[in-house]
Amino acid sequence: MGEGRADEELMAAYRGGDARAFETLYARHRTRLFRFILRSVKTRAVAEELYQEIWMRVIEARGTYTVRARFTTWLYSIAHNRLVDHWRKRGLTLVSLEGDDVAGGAPDPADQAQAREALARFAAALEALPPLQREAFLLHEEGDLSVAEIAAATGSSEEAAKSRLRYAMAKLKAVLDDG
Amino acid sequence: MADERDPWVSQRYRELGDAQPPRELDQAILAAAHRAADRPHAPLVTPAGRHRWYFSLAAAAVLMLAVGIALHIERQQPDPEAVSLPEKPATQPSAQVAKERRDAPQSAAAAPPAAHEAEKKPANAALKKEKRDAAEGSRPAAQPAEPPAGQTDRLESAPAQRRAEMSSAAPELRAMRKPAPAARAPAASNYLETPAETPERELERIAELRKLGRDDEADKALAEFRKRYPDYRIAEEMRAKVERPGPAR
Repeated sequence: MGEGRADEELMAAYRGGDARAFETLYARHRTRLFRFILRSVKTRAVAEELYQEIWMRVIEARGTYTVRARFTTWLYSIAHNRLVDHWRKRGLTLVSLEGDDVAGGAPDPADQAQAREALARFAAALEALPPLQREAFLLHEEGDLSVAEIAAATGSSEEAAKSRLRYAMAKLKAVLDDG
Repeated sequence: MADERDPWVSQRYRELGDAQPPRELDQAILAAAHRAADRPHAPLVTPAGRHRWYFSLAAAAVLMLAVGIALHIERQQPDPEAVSLPEKPATQPSAQVAKERRDAPQSAAAAPPAAHEAEKKPANAALKKEKRDAAEGSRPAAQPAEPPAGQTDRLESAPAQRRAEMSSAAPELRAMRKPAPAARAPAASNYLETPAETPERELERIAELRKLGRDDEADKALAEFRKRYPDYRIAEEMRAKVERPGPAR
């Protein structure tokens, strides 16, 4: 139920008291949002804590939700604000990608090792990005936000959002080009 | 929807893994969402419908509190008149006494509100005269009804000295004005040198006149009383004593 409805419609329904609409909305965005948080902080425990807080804020703010922008933009703006608070308090470090399932896919052990190594370099490059560039990249990848929406979610100008995203993509692409 | 996307970068990013939130977290969040859905959210504007009366009641309560405080403050403020008393000249008491004696033979200065109002106009005129006299070096005549000695001296001194003396008397006057309105009457009576009368005391005096058969004087005093205290409600028992008895039926 509600699978075909737009995010904005579901959120409006939830604002009106329809809890099932929230369930649908949550199912749609839970994984991506979690990954976004996970790639932005130090430990998984912190990521889970922030993740829950973000959804609590969504629930509390349901009364003031209005369809002025995409639901995704609104959701990730809440996530951004929470992350900024976190960064300010604790400084920025990222979750180590060790232990995460790495979908290499290559059957040959040598190839597998090479793939794993390439992925590790990519993960390290992502980790090494300046926070705002990394955030722009993650909003783009996980939230599927456009440059304008990234700007809206992060409270920055479109030029700044575009620049950050471009730099992030360039650095990550350079890592891939290196092998 | 997304721009600036590089498919190769996106693919490599996806290969990093599909991390998921733990199931317990999912359940906690969904439970909270359900609880919130059952509970109406606190609106930022006045709600319509059955909850509106909360706000009306609160507004009414705040209004009543404000009015009560304002009235309380107003009752606590005899200040302008109490402090300004020293500026009134020595002649003023006697003028007032003469007026009182003319209007009501046995009445003395009234309780503060009406008495002070009546005092102001002749007081101002007399004060101006006093200033002129002081400037010309003349001294006011001795007054039969003297204000407190300090005030007489004050009126006869030079302006600068007068101000100094008045300011030194101010604390006394401020102390005088602190008690309740009924207690102010003695301070006013000291100034006017006539026994101060509360409304109740006046009524008793009128009742006494009535008892002595001096009905005309009693009628006059009662009329003066009603003029001075138009809102004063005379108790039934007292009314029977002060009003002229009606013809027997």
